Amino acid sequence: MPARPRVAALALAVGVVLADSSIVVLALPEIYRELDTSVAGVTWVLISFNLVMALAAVPAALLARRVGPGRAAAVGLAVFAGAGLACGLADELSTLIAARCVQALGGALAVTAALELLPATVGSEQRAATVWAAAGATGAALGPALGGLLTELVSWQSIFLLQVPVALVAAVPILAVAKHEAATGVIEPELRETGRPHLWANLALAMVSAAIAAALFLLVLLLIEGWRLSPIEAALVVTVMPLAAILGSKLADLVADARSRAAAGAILVSGGLAGLAFLPKATIALTIPPQILVGLGLALVLSALTETALGGRAPQAIHGGWTISSRHAGVVIGLLILTPIFTAEINQQRHDAIDAGTAVILDSPINPLLKLDLAERVSQQLETEKGKVPIIDPAFEPKPSDPVERAEVEQLQGELQDQLDRGATHAFSTSFLLAALLGLIALFPIALSRRVDL
Amino acid sequence: MSGEGRLSGRLLIVGAVVASLLLVGAYLAAGGSSYEPKKVQDPCQPRPWSNPQTLGQIANQFTISALDGAACQLGVSREELAQALATPEARERFTKSHGIDDEKLAKAIRAGLVRAVDDAEEAGALSPLLAGPLRQTLQQIPLDQAIEIINNAQDFLGNAESFLGPAQDIIEQFLP
Repeated sequence: MPARPRVAALALAVGVVLADSSIVVLALPEIYRELDTSVAGVTWVLISFNLVMALAAVPAALLARRVGPGRAAAVGLAVFAGAGLACGLADELSTLIAARCVQALGGALAVTAALELLPATVGSEQRAATVWAAAGATGAALGPALGGLLTELVSWQSIFLLQVPVALVAAVPILAVAKHEAATGVIEPELRETGRPHLWANLALAMVSAAIAAALFLLVLLLIEGWRLSPIEAALVVTVMPLAAILGSKLADLVADARSRAAAGAILVSGGLAGLAFLPKATIALTIPPQILVGLGLALVLSALTETALGGRAPQAIHGGWTISSRHAGVVIGLLILTPIFTAEINQQRHDAIDAGTAVILDSPINPLLKLDLAERVSQQLETEKGKVPIIDPAFEPKPSDPVERAEVEQLQGELQDQLDRGATHAFSTSFLLAALLGLIALFPIALSRRVDL
Repeated sequence: MSGEGRLSGRLLIVGAVVASLLLVGAYLAAGGSSYEPKKVQDPCQPRPWSNPQTLGQIANQFTISALDGAACQLGVSREELAQALATPEARERFTKSHGIDDEKLAKAIRAGLVRAVDDAEEAGALSPLLAGPLRQTLQQIPLDQAIEIINNAQDFLGNAESFLGPAQDIIEQFLP
């Protein structure tokens, strides 16, 4: 079989699986509403996939080497597609989470087997690592925007249902390899093990991945739940990150030293996250500069650390498995640390915002009867929005017909909305700062990565 | 693989540090860390009336004073009490969470209404001849009626004026 379709198929397989780590981020608010769960509960749709990927990546790589990477990749993609179908049909959170776990098992097998297949297809291990890392980074970066578009245009279920044909298309060229393996009996490639897993590069990957996952997850929640953007609008906003990541990969080409690229990338990711923590206003434009820093940073740091972790080591599938494991473990750690913190912050800020909003209403010059009626409507609106960042507009409808009263009410609505928006934005500050700290902590293993190259 | 080496690694790191510091510095300078939710005021502190002229303005201040007085008695904020009085469900949640019964709530709201009359009298918005009977009436009213007065102070004050106003005119004729 010609090499090019097979490279494309393998890159597609890696891209679609690693996109799955982040593709549901923009669909989470929709899933959260439709399946009637909590913010903490819905994060398990993300956590479960990443946790199983983290645990299964290395055993999957070992299995791929044992049964043959072609067969492993084909089976992995079939399992991934089947579980994707189950995710798309799930009508309960527990079913969705269970299907996500199975999806991750199939995904881990496909991704690590792909790395084992790539060197023979592209001609060198180094080139294979580049294609593999680039496909994974592209998938992870594009995932949220694609997920947002699908959620808005079709439904959150369509994200998973669309993965079925994509995974099957990727599996077709790989089947030829699987058939060849079955026919020739070539199962385990010649063993040429060099080096233990690169501890420091993998540790740094985990920390940086935690910070990046937090950046995506928190920003999406801020945009959709805090600022009430639609998934498609939020998808457009967070597209800044993958666009900046493309620029970042060009920048990476200019610098030879992987450790410097990794350090600069970690600093940029942290700087961007700190920027998001200190947003002066609840305005989309102000999220763009921090996103540019995060996007540039993630392109620099992920490729540099993956290169360092794989460089000169064999078998590639096993070491690739370690990088996958580290990245997804980082995502899980980031979500587990930050979810309870921002959930508590959102609740506190919501409480403060309601009090502040009531104070704004009570201190306003509008007619007292209208004022208390508004306070009542706002209170009832908050009842229906229990546990979420409140949407206040319906409480102000219908507006008074008297032009003077109408103007006063509109001004009051603006003030109240400003209080709520700023409260919602501020609710994410601590979590963004902690995520920035995770990115900075990654500088320690990055600094040690040359001196103690295990 | 990445890295042709046309740019020094050190320069890249310095650039990353500078870009990060510039962004964070600019956001902090623009007030990025200054957010404080609007503070709720202590309801026990006197809140001077701002020279109300119309019945609507008087009713507005009256409502605020009544909420302040009742909230002060209950040891909660004026805002929390206003939310609690919005619906029967909110009221039930409020009394449960603070461990207070209807009698205690009624007493506090009556005290709030009396404080509102005091404040109105002090501000010259209510004549002493009207304020006295109003105080006496308010100290006796049941809970639902007390809440209704807070919710609709304008009607209450308007009615008080029309019932007691003529009597006041007569009394004032006999005063020096």
